[in-house]
Formats: sequence, C-alpha cells, structure tokens
Amino acid sequence: MDKNKSNIDLEISDRRNFFKKTVAISVTALAGTSLLASQNATFGDGEPEILNHAKWGQVWGDPVSKNLYGVPSPYEHNVIRRNTKLLASGNFRASIAVTPLHESEGIITPNGLFFSRSHGGTCFVDPNEFRLMIHGLVDKPLVLTLEELKRYPRVTRTHFIECPANGGQEWRAPQFNSLQFSKGFMSSAEWTGVYIKDLIKDLGLDLSKAQWMLAEGSDNSEMGRTVPIDKVLDDAMLVWGQNGEALRPEQGYPVRLLLPGWEGNLCVKWLKRLEFSQEPWYAKEETSKYTNLKPSGKAIQHFYANEVNSTVVTPSPEKPWTHLKDGDMVEIEGLAWSGMGTITGVDLSFDGGKNYVKAKLKGLVLPKSWTRWSYMHKYKKGDVLLLTSRATDDAGFIQPTIDEETLVMGVEAVYHRNAVETWEVTADGKVNHVQIRTDHRETKGVNNA
Amino acid sequence: MRKFNTKLITTVSAITLSAFFAAGCVGNDATPESKWKTGSDIGGGVTYIMDGDKTGPYYVNSDAHKMSISNGRVPTAAELKAWNVDLQPRGIGSPNGQGIPVGSGSVEEGEELYDAKCLSCHGDFGAGYGTYPALGNGNAYELNKTLTNNRYLDPEADGPTRVFGSYWPQLTTMFWYIRDAMPHPKSKTLTTDEVYALTAYMLYINEIEVNGELVEEEFVLSNENFLDVRMPNEDGFEPNIAGANSLPGVRAYFNNPANYGAQKVKYEERCMTDCQDESAKVVKIQNGGIQSFTPPLSVVRDLPKVKKAGIDVLEVYKNNCSSCHDGMLSVGSDDWANYTTKGIDKVYENAISGTDAGMPAMGGVSMSKENFKTLVDYLITGKIK
Repeated sequence: MDKNKSNIDLEISDRRNFFKKTVAISVTALAGTSLLASQNATFGDGEPEILNHAKWGQVWGDPVSKNLYGVPSPYEHNVIRRNTKLLASGNFRASIAVTPLHESEGIITPNGLFFSRSHGGTCFVDPNEFRLMIHGLVDKPLVLTLEELKRYPRVTRTHFIECPANGGQEWRAPQFNSLQFSKGFMSSAEWTGVYIKDLIKDLGLDLSKAQWMLAEGSDNSEMGRTVPIDKVLDDAMLVWGQNGEALRPEQGYPVRLLLPGWEGNLCVKWLKRLEFSQEPWYAKEETSKYTNLKPSGKAIQHFYANEVNSTVVTPSPEKPWTHLKDGDMVEIEGLAWSGMGTITGVDLSFDGGKNYVKAKLKGLVLPKSWTRWSYMHKYKKGDVLLLTSRATDDAGFIQPTIDEETLVMGVEAVYHRNAVETWEVTADGKVNHVQIRTDHRETKGVNNA
Repeated sequence: MRKFNTKLITTVSAITLSAFFAAGCVGNDATPESKWKTGSDIGGGVTYIMDGDKTGPYYVNSDAHKMSISNGRVPTAAELKAWNVDLQPRGIGSPNGQGIPVGSGSVEEGEELYDAKCLSCHGDFGAGYGTYPALGNGNAYELNKTLTNNRYLDPEADGPTRVFGSYWPQLTTMFWYIRDAMPHPKSKTLTTDEVYALTAYMLYINEIEVNGELVEEEFVLSNENFLDVRMPNEDGFEPNIAGANSLPGVRAYFNNPANYGAQKVKYEERCMTDCQDESAKVVKIQNGGIQSFTPPLSVVRDLPKVKKAGIDVLEVYKNNCSSCHDGMLSVGSDDWANYTTKGIDKVYENAISGTDAGMPAMGGVSMSKENFKTLVDYLITGKIK
C-alpha cells in the first residue's frame, strides 16, 4: 500500500482547509492499515465507510479455488445453533440444539442452522452401507440400496419440521428471554424424496389389516415410532434432499422419514426399516416421552400434528428496537405455521391480545409450511407495547390464548403448546418475553374431565 | 384379502372426501381457509390429495404417481430375522408373546449389571444423576397417583413424577430400549439374558407387583412370565390405540379439538376486539429466567476470536466430562490412586477405548489423542499442563 501517497493526500486536504477535524483522518489513524484516505476526503464531511476506499476493495480477494464448499462470512459467526445445559440429558447425546430464528430470513432454514435433535447422538451413516427394509403385512418384502431408492419418481416439498417441545419449557411461565430458545425448536427446508405410497405400490400391502407402520432408525438409540396408515397413504415421504443437497448428518443422512406437519420426532432419521402391522408398537419415544399429561392424570399419546402457531420475529429479545428514533416507520415481521394445514391469516395485537389488527401474509403461502407475515408500524419512543401474534389455518384452527389452552391441558403437558405468545416492548425499545395469563390460584380451577 | 393398489387409493380418498363434504367445509372461495384442502387428516388437520397434475399448490407428474415401479430385491430369511426384532406388547399380533425372545434374568443379576454398566449415569437405584434421567423414584403405584399433580393452581406444589414405573404403559418398551439403546455409549452389546436381568431390576426398583406379588431380589423375568407383567399406568393414555382396530377412535379423538385444548373458529368470526379475559395479567420472567445458553447469546457481527492451538481443558471438561466426573473420580480426587496403580498408560488406554463401567470411548469427544491425554492428566491431577 502506498502510504506516502496517502499522507500526501492528507496534507493536501489539510492545506486546502477542507477538513479540519475529519472523521476520515482519525479513523485512518486508528485502523492503522489500508490507509488510503484518498481524494475522497476532499469531498467534505461524512462517514469514513463512504469517504475512504474499503479495505477489502484494494486487495485481491480469495481465489475461486478456495472453499470448494462455501461457508458463511466469518462476520456471521454468531448466527449459530445454540444449546442449553437444562436440556443436556447428561451429555448432549439425547439433546437439542436450536435454530437462531431471530436471524432467520424467508421460509427456508440454511442446512447448517437447522435445529438438531437426536436420541443417541448424530450418527454418520455410510451411504454405501445404507439399506432400507420394508416388510410386515406385504406380499413382497423389499430391500433397497440408496441408489435404488432414488430411482422412484421424485417429489419436492417445502415443509417445516418442529419439535413438539417447542415452547414446552414455558407452560407455567415464561422462562427464556430469547426467540431462539422460546421458539427455535423448529426449522424449515425444501425436501426432496419419494412418497411412501409410490414406494409400496407393488408390494401387495394388505389394507384389510395394515393399520400402523413402524419407522426405525439405525442410530445409537435405534429411534423408532409408530405411524398410522392414514399418513402413510397421504403425504408421508422418505427424503434424501434438503435445500438442494443431501441431508445433513444432523437431519438423518442419508434418508429420513418426513411426515409433513407432524411432530419432528416422528420424522425418523437415519432410517433403516419400515414395518406394517395391525397393532401399534409402543416405542420409547411414544410412551415415556412425547405424551401430553393432562390434569385428569391421563396423557395424550400419538399426538401427531403440530397445531397452528406464530411468533413475532422482528423485533425479538435478541434484536430489540433500542436503536429506533421516534417516528421511524418499522416493519414488524413474523412467522406463522401449522402442521394441520395452510396459514390463512395472521392478526397482530399491540396490547397483549385484547385487540387485534390484520397483518399481511408475504411470499409463498404453502401447506404445512412456514409463512411470513408483516405489519408496518410507526414507532413512538416511550410507548410500551405488548406484541402478540395469532394465526389461523385452513383446517379451521386459531391459536388459543394461554388461558384457553391451559384450562384443558393444565401446565404439565410439556408438548404441543401453541397458545399466543407476547413480546413486551419497553419504553426504551428493549424487548422482553412475557405471557398474558390468569393466575388460577385466584380464579377458576382446571377442567378435570 | 384387500390389496393396496391405485384403485384403492382412489377409494380411500373418496371416503375422506365424502366425509368432508358432509361436514360442509368445502367450496366457498370467499373464505381464505378453503383453497386447496380436500379431506381431513387423522391428526385433526386437512389433506391435499392429488388432483390431476396438482396437489395443493404444487404441480406433479401424475403419470409418475399412477405407475407401479419395482426396484430392489426381496430380503433373505436371515436378513428379515436379523432386523425384525422389535417388540409389541402382546407380541406381533399374537397373544402368545411372539417377538418376545427366549431368555431369562434375575433381579440380583440385574443389580450387578446395573451397578457395573448403568449406575455411572442413572445413579443409585435409578434415581437419576445430574440431567441424566431417573428410572424410578420409589413405589410405582404411589407415584402413579402423582400424575394428577398439576402446578396450575399452585406453581410451588410438587409436580407429577413420570418415571418408568409410574408412567410407561408397557414393559416391552423397556426391554426393547435397553436391548437396542443401552448402555448409551455402547449400545447393542448386552445379551438377551442380560436384558432380561436389567428389565427385572427396573421392575424391582419401581416396586412393581407381578401376579399380585411384589418383585423381590430373587424374582426372575423370562419369556415365560413376561406377559404377566402389567404396568400401573397401562390405561393412562388417550386415545386408545390398543387392539387390531383402534384407528377410528384415534381419528375421532383428534377431530375433537376440546380433547387437546385447541380452538376452532370461522375465520370471519374470530375475535378482533376485547378478546382477553379481564383476569389475564402480564406475567414476566422471574429472576432473569434460564440463561445457561451455549454459546452465550450474541448478535454482534465481528471477526471470531482466533483460538489457540490445543484445547481449552476447562471448557472441554465442562461440556463433556463434568456431568459424570463431577460426581465420581472427580478432578484431582484421591480415588484416582486406585486406577493409576497399573500405570498412567493403562488409564489413557481405558479412557481412549472406553470401559464397561460407563466411560465412553474418548469421552465422546472428538480431538487428537495427545490433547485427550492432557484432559485425562487434568482429571487425575487437577493441574493443566
């Protein structure tokens, strides 16, 4: 770099008295490298980012031969999955790492940020040793290699996958002052694979008997779950493609089950076997876990679809409005999703769910998919807001209030909590996770029916 | 015997369709909720069946989905036998316990195995350890009564205890899970008799009664008496999925939102003003809430700190070792003297390849052996090299 030239330029500008206390000079001095303040300084007052040449713009960039599989900008190193010791289950092998929703864009999660949940650790399947067996109530049981599986006609669909424990730590009260942890047990991708109904067409499935299908993984926990035949014959898929590339190991490479809209754990990863039977199985992850205890002492088992849900994404506790000026027009943006169907609308409340206005849907509105929504807001400094979003779907469902949901489910259910959730925007623009609910020590009891 | 074929798919779809029309939910384009849906789903939602060259908003090659395609091969009898080893509560559609393997094991044998292979994570008598799950917490029949504990009325009260004895509906689940997934760092290494013994021990610590008698130390569980075991919470779940024809009940259950706290509303009739009960108040996070996030939350966009070569021993210990070693063979503990008598190389060897006592190979950490030895040295001496 031609330091002399730089100094000469500065002298010139100084002599001409255009720039007595220029930002450019002080920043240049601090930065110490890439010191070309340049003639731009002669244009007058302004930000050094504009008045100076950018330091990356005056050197060679990386050759195209670097990073043959691309990686994010190093500046994005805080946009990552995170985990918590609270959900470690000992050693983070039967645990979860959650998606940074506060940094999410659109309705697709990058594969490296897709939430990761396993019951025996992420396993690494050799695709050459992958075998899929389909058997049980069929005339012709089947074994497929990965290459043979990929010969069936492909289907590509955009669906979210959500752990039913999304929001499940907050049945009794808000606990996470974070969008990533309060709603990030989910992600969304464009999946490619085959319909199971296409795969089993010539196997002679005995539909007079076949009621259930066991899907079993080849991982350390041999994770398995029972799926009702209805879903198998509807939209159940075996997928190997995720956002245009192979599934990531964390998502079940090379093949996972995808049951659009249904609990993430039902979408068995590292798949090895499908078996058809007249009776269900009672696998561990459909009895000891993923069952919803109600106040009656009975628990809901085989709870399939994730119900209609939504959240405000911008602002969030992670990305508040502290930088806004009074009178700024700002977009309130969020996500809505339903495993029951397609999002039909989203309403937004500024008073914690007392009164709602209709928000606008944006982009593609697809079945059993994340859907973006938006509302333009004129920010008033000093106002305290309670931002609550509420979605509806084409199955006719609407998000319940916390009181409506807990009156039926109590507060010990762990899973499938889809009541409306609220961000408090404080007078100085900070955002806090709060809940609007009745203290039932003072009022009604629970429904023990 | 009905066979599954294309024609049948049409029949099934027709049934769901007609049911749907009967419910009067289709056809009005004025409401946003009726764009593509074609039927109702067992889980309470809607379906979007293939109609011509479209399903919902997606185009499809309808030719491809009409065809019957044959790939792959039929598995051999040995292959089927090797993989078809799942367990169902009454055996595979049979009251005779088909699918339940021949074998046996006693509580005493189970206890010995448990202490050697399970205790390091699951704690004494299955009481749990750190965030590792508990397997029992006393008498299952008493704990079963806690399932109605709901901290709805009193957040400070005791919650429900959902352990194997009090909650799991079927014994097959435990046998199957121990056999395929345990010990977690070395799964699928137990013999059938060992699985029986450990399952028997699970019944013992949960004080389960079999045929009216409390399971004692001399109790032997085998394929002969396996089906006699009834778990206290066998009937604790809804909808009922047991038996050969339970799906209609499951469909009915999820088509009634009142069963699971969901709300349905006509879109035009949803509440827009004065929607919240007067008694509802703003509840804030108490005491800062949960903040043990790894890595800590940050939205800063800067260049990441360059990590030094080698490992951050304390950080690796915290994330990978502390959950067990805080409690046993802790950092710098005198107990290590019993393990170093055969020389430090033997300790390294055990740590690197794992032990039956619960030490996972390399502690489940991926790093060079040299770095790993530094970690082992720290555990033994309490000093970082």
